[in-house]
Amino acid sequence: MSGPALSRRGFLGAAGFTAGVLLTGCATAPSPDVTVAYWNFFGGGDGERMVGLVDRFRADNPRIGVSATTLEWGSPYYTKLAMACAGGRAPDLATLHTSRLVTFGRDLLEPWDLAELEARGVRLDDFPPAVTERLAVDGELVGLPLDTHPMVLYYNTDVCDRAGLLDASGELRPLHGPDTLLDAGRRAAEVTGATGIAFAATGTNEPWMLFWSLYNQAGGRMDLPDGGPARVDRDAMVTAMGYLQAFCDGTIASPTLDSDAAVATFASAQSGFLVTGPWEYTSAETAGIPFSMTRFPAVFGDRAIVRADSHCFVVPRQDSVDPTVRAAAYDLAVSMLDDSVSWAEGGHVPALAAVAESPEYLAMQPQSRYRDVVDDVEFDPVAYYSGSGSTMMNRAAQTLQAVAGGGLTPERGADDLTAWLDTQLRLESPL
Amino acid sequence: MSAPSEVRRTEQTGPAGAAEPASRRRRVPPGVWFVLPFMLSYVAFVIWPLTRGLWMSFHDTSLVRSGSEFVGLDNYTRLFADPLVWSSLWTTLVFTIGSTIPLVLIALVMALLVHAGGRGQWFWRLAFFAPYLMPVATVALIWNWLFQNDVGLLNGLLGVLGMQPVGWTSDPSVALWSVVLLTVWWTVGFNFLLYLAALQAIPPDVLEAAATDGAGRWRTTRSIVLPLIAPTTGLVLVLQLLASLKLFDQAYILFSGDGGPEGSVTPVLQYVYDTGFVGYRLGYASAISYVFFLLILVIALAHAWLAGRRRSA
Repeated sequence: MSGPALSRRGFLGAAGFTAGVLLTGCATAPSPDVTVAYWNFFGGGDGERMVGLVDRFRADNPRIGVSATTLEWGSPYYTKLAMACAGGRAPDLATLHTSRLVTFGRDLLEPWDLAELEARGVRLDDFPPAVTERLAVDGELVGLPLDTHPMVLYYNTDVCDRAGLLDASGELRPLHGPDTLLDAGRRAAEVTGATGIAFAATGTNEPWMLFWSLYNQAGGRMDLPDGGPARVDRDAMVTAMGYLQAFCDGTIASPTLDSDAAVATFASAQSGFLVTGPWEYTSAETAGIPFSMTRFPAVFGDRAIVRADSHCFVVPRQDSVDPTVRAAAYDLAVSMLDDSVSWAEGGHVPALAAVAESPEYLAMQPQSRYRDVVDDVEFDPVAYYSGSGSTMMNRAAQTLQAVAGGGLTPERGADDLTAWLDTQLRLESPL
Repeated sequence: MSAPSEVRRTEQTGPAGAAEPASRRRRVPPGVWFVLPFMLSYVAFVIWPLTRGLWMSFHDTSLVRSGSEFVGLDNYTRLFADPLVWSSLWTTLVFTIGSTIPLVLIALVMALLVHAGGRGQWFWRLAFFAPYLMPVATVALIWNWLFQNDVGLLNGLLGVLGMQPVGWTSDPSVALWSVVLLTVWWTVGFNFLLYLAALQAIPPDVLEAAATDGAGRWRTTRSIVLPLIAPTTGLVLVLQLLASLKLFDQAYILFSGDGGPEGSVTPVLQYVYDTGFVGYRLGYASAISYVFFLLILVIALAHAWLAGRRRSA
């Protein structure tokens, strides 16, 4: 047998050489002085834009490393973050829904140092007051707002044109009042031959967004004091749930679509409208259908109040804080805020005034068409179990799904939800 | 060369010449070192969480607050008045019974057919077992689209046949059975494989003797094959009961964690998860999981008792 083509010694030598080259390669790249651990929950188009924001920060700050972690949105994210905070080894910076701040704010987050922010050119009055109000816990700012994301109305301009719902300039005619929206849905359904409005009645987010918007438009207020009972407006609840049931009649909107299917229905032009958050802008854009977006109309009353939430940056509490890492986390957050015009491409209304008033944002169509909605947004009621992806949203969605599907009357739906709230309030708070 | 060393060894281990350090070393049986790594992880990941969970179930432990107070049996008394505990336990039990029966029967029928069939056995083996190899997230995503009410394949097929669409994931009276359907498709291959192995282990001379006595295929299956694979049936049944009781992941992913239409597919493990990790009430969640643990213990003991009786009979 002749000797092998590559002897063991030769192979080891080659491997050692390769490793050496690789290590040298690593050493020549500028090694960051500090590394900021940043957690977020953005997927899809938002995820790509978030990666873009982080990458631009990395390019501008070669001495700061960012280890960005994306986790599944909803309770998986909030559970992991809460456990990391409780364990004292939380990330240096994290994204949160403003509506979930209550749970985290008191024990798990550090307030933002306003002087440090101002040193980086960000002041509190650069943000809409309706949003910053929700970001304060015990008078201190714990969340730095990135955006506001209200429930919006997407419409297929082609379908709406054929249904005679557009005005001379090609924009959707105002849909004021309860019957106008239902009628527009029926007319769009005639054009598509399927349903008029794509709406995820069996989803979790969407039934709650629509209900909370309608409930507030109908004048409803909700107050959830510890120990209970829940102070709710039963008439407004019945009105809102009754409208939801009329809305999901199978012609105007289907009572059986989930979130993905609702977006797919709109993206394949099988409906004239889509009611959901602005984050589906990318899906509609990618589908290549002719569409625009506008504010969800005033169904009840004169003010088109809609349910909204907002993404914010928070500094989780850690057992030991490295001041240079903390400063780098501030740098990263402020950089992403300053850069948030690219974030707004995804349909979110930017929170920072300088960005919201910038010509680049104003020129963004249709994303900037509903920007004035920030004056009429209603956040979720304040409780440790409420907010985006919360127990309350899940539980309310169960009632609302039953109402939308006709399994519960609006009256029984209102009583069901109220009874659950009362039970929840009687439980001792885990905070 | 080996003889002297052997002699020396005998001298060392012999009772007369036992040196002091060697005898001390002998007090630790050698098996311990093999078992120790496992025991350490078993204590760290099973025994310690079990005791810690039991301790938490008597405290108002919270995920987001440090420190907890002893609350005695409060968590347990509250649990008995909590309708969600009972409805989610009921969901788990219905799923367990509803999925175990088809998962055992269909696996048996599939194994009998494949075993009886002549050519292309490898194809059926592969086809029946392949879904079991898929990760749960993939399975749930595929079926989520198949189940779609307005755009899904299943309702599309029903429509072609002129039938009404079924609310696979939107009708509260159907949704749990959709999860059963998904689970059967996904995991029946494992039971099938166990049965097939048992069938292949039947000695051919027994079957030959039956054939010589003039027994037909049906008679052979009923009187020879089924009794001979009875131990496998017992094994499959227990494994399946335990697997079905653990219903959580496929239902959680299929309904994105919201418990299905009107909460009709909230198994007890999801309620434990929601209570402890979403609602931050670890103490209460521990109490619920202990009640569930007791239930499983009762099932396991009942099985052991039945099996013991069968053996002694």
